[in-house]
Amino acid sequence: MASGEVLGAIKISKSYPGVQALESIDFELRAGEVQALVGQNGAGKSTFIEIISGALRPDSGQIMVEGRAYPYLEPSKSIELGIQTVHQENQLVEELSVAENIYLFDLPGNRLGLVNYAQCQKAAGALLAELGIQVPAGRKMTQLTFIEKKLVSIAKAFSRQAKVLILDEPTASLDEKGKNVLFDIIRQNTGKGLGVIYISHNLGEIFEVCDRVTVFKDGKKVATHAVAEISMNTVVQEMIGRTTSSLYAREGGKAGTAAGAALEVEDFSREGVVDHVSFDVRPGEIFGIGGLVGAGRTELARMIFGLDPKDSGRLLLRGKDITPASPFDAIQKGIGYLTEDRKDSGLILGRPIFENVSLARLAKSLRLLLDLGRERGETGDISRQLDIKTPSLEQRVINLSGGNQQKVVLAKWLFAGSEVLIFDEPTVGVDVGAKSEIYRMMENLARQGKVIIMISSDNPELVAVCDRVGIMRDRKLVVVLEGEQISEENILRYSMGVGERD
Amino acid sequence: MNSAVATVGKKKTRITQSIVLIGIIVAICAVTSIVNPRFLRIQNIINIFQQISILGIVACGIGMLLVAGQIDISVGSQISLMGVIIGMVIEKLVGKPIPGVQAWQAALAIPLAVVATLVLGFLMGLLNGIVVIKSRAASFIITLGFMTAYHGAALLTSGGYGYSLYGHFELLGRGRVLNIIPIPILFFLGVVLITYLVLKYFRYGRFLYAIGGNRKAAYVSGINTNRITIIAYVVTGMCSALAALILISRVGSATATTGDAYGLDALAGVIVGGVALSGGRGNALNIFLGVMLIGLISNALIIMTIDPYMRDVIIGLIIIIAVTIAQYTSERE
Repeated sequence: MASGEVLGAIKISKSYPGVQALESIDFELRAGEVQALVGQNGAGKSTFIEIISGALRPDSGQIMVEGRAYPYLEPSKSIELGIQTVHQENQLVEELSVAENIYLFDLPGNRLGLVNYAQCQKAAGALLAELGIQVPAGRKMTQLTFIEKKLVSIAKAFSRQAKVLILDEPTASLDEKGKNVLFDIIRQNTGKGLGVIYISHNLGEIFEVCDRVTVFKDGKKVATHAVAEISMNTVVQEMIGRTTSSLYAREGGKAGTAAGAALEVEDFSREGVVDHVSFDVRPGEIFGIGGLVGAGRTELARMIFGLDPKDSGRLLLRGKDITPASPFDAIQKGIGYLTEDRKDSGLILGRPIFENVSLARLAKSLRLLLDLGRERGETGDISRQLDIKTPSLEQRVINLSGGNQQKVVLAKWLFAGSEVLIFDEPTVGVDVGAKSEIYRMMENLARQGKVIIMISSDNPELVAVCDRVGIMRDRKLVVVLEGEQISEENILRYSMGVGERD
Repeated sequence: MNSAVATVGKKKTRITQSIVLIGIIVAICAVTSIVNPRFLRIQNIINIFQQISILGIVACGIGMLLVAGQIDISVGSQISLMGVIIGMVIEKLVGKPIPGVQAWQAALAIPLAVVATLVLGFLMGLLNGIVVIKSRAASFIITLGFMTAYHGAALLTSGGYGYSLYGHFELLGRGRVLNIIPIPILFFLGVVLITYLVLKYFRYGRFLYAIGGNRKAAYVSGINTNRITIIAYVVTGMCSALAALILISRVGSATATTGDAYGLDALAGVIVGGVALSGGRGNALNIFLGVMLIGLISNALIIMTIDPYMRDVIIGLIIIIAVTIAQYTSERE
């Protein structure tokens, strides 16, 4: 094994308005090693990878490739230097063959400038054989399975000279067999001096295949350890860090365990998306749903709201079946859904506040004509109740701050008379002040008897706000935490599947 | 308690847009009347309105569709096809020498032509809407297909020739109320008024804005986005039907291309009126002003004895300028 540095970073920083995404990151990848990159959602892993692969420019700092310093890399430069990235989502052209995809940016030509398909296929075949991937080079991508496509994208990374391989959640869609093929490829090539950056939430895999692990938290590097000298527990601890000040204190304390169920979520399931999820929400409580991005939380919420089809699932509000067939039906039955991305599917950004607030209620009503005066008055009342800060109700929503936008979405559902409110990542892009306002509103609504469910990837938020927290992993609800059990550490353990193993 | 929610309305964007349009219209009027004072005669002003009546009716339909983020470029061919049907029904039933026409034929022909046109307009709108929704393809492409298909249907129906109305069915296009105000103007103003009311005071109009502004959010808010969209296509088809009736009545004959120009001209008026192609914006007043501007330019060029072929060049340029300005202002926001 060679042991020189193939890739390094010196004091790399990157900030976005209001967020320090990366703060003075130092990093070193040695030839022949597999180094894991771990951290909670939003810790800065993706930003760091995008800087290394040239998709983003850092604000300051340097990238070192084989001893040479670069202030930033362009994507093409990064590839030319031998840094190859396999993204989480497949980035292949479905209509082309395996061979064409592998050599897409460097198709072998003949003297006339035409593509030499025979040579292309031969080279791809040889590459696939060398890597131990059993996929015919001439086959069209559309005919491949999910797993085969993933393996092709890995092969593609090796089609050009690769000194550094970045794998972003490479096993997310792989089965055991695919994983073994991948791990073999990694072991073979690290033996030849390849350096691998391995991003994963699966600590088990990391401990199986990686040499060192680097922990990111809140845009900073916490530490790098040799895997052999550290336990999974320590890694989890470092990912959480020490949270000193409490984020938010509930006014009336947590509701505790009132008897009975206000809302029963029964056996929601769709193959490959959500796996038989059931839970109850008790009267007066805020029920949290935690887990990693991609665990099936938003998909569950969309099914509960009637947005997406389901194989099974029943929703009972105080014993009454309110399973909705469509969003329209859901609204009739008193369900409101504050979507994960309010700009994408929560708000009509170009329209005024009052139109946004009254929309769901209008959809529910059967009146032909609008009562503009009454609408103005009532949407004004509710906007004042929620303290939406704006000079006028005519203000277009696009001009509001994130917190006020979220309040407009909430106002819409309250105005429509929703009894069940599902908040999906309600405080993303919301400033600290507005955050606690939103928590306070959720708390008050729960006290008034509304059923509140909050999906969040912000674990401190789940700990501070929720009475109970269900954790989803791999499409299943694996545990419901209560009382003292609700801690960042437990949420993270169950999210990543470390809890049961240790 | 922060009572920052004021009740005073601020309609800045809309007013500036309307004012710009009115400014341009006044400027054109001023220049033209200096070059040729006849421009300002009552008769010419009535002429202008008469000329834009049909365009305006079509534009209201397209305008509502655009507010919902959709487009229908087949409108011109729809009008031509319906025009040929009107001509065919009337010529077949009451055409040829008047003495040979039996009373029942004359009594039947016009109502039949009117009903056939309205039904056809309804059906073409419905078909366009359903296919756009079900295909999930861009409405521009789907209606481009329909444009060609309807054009072909018009050619087939006309057999390559035209139909003449032989002076029947003149009232709608050529009649005047009190001998002064042409009937088409009344229909035009009526349709503009209805469009205004629908967009401003009807739940349906509100939903058009919501869908055009953000289809996903509208759906999540419980709006039946597909139904609202299909209805908008039907409304557009009905506007085309009304336009076809008035047009053929005024022209007195029909060929397979009689209505073709109206589709894109109306679209031009709507776009110049500031209805965003991306949807969620626009109102009846601006559609009216946009159509006025298009009509005015045509009239002004004639009055100033400029080559009428210049008209299309100028209108084309105006569309490009209007869209570019709109793009820049929306980007700045």
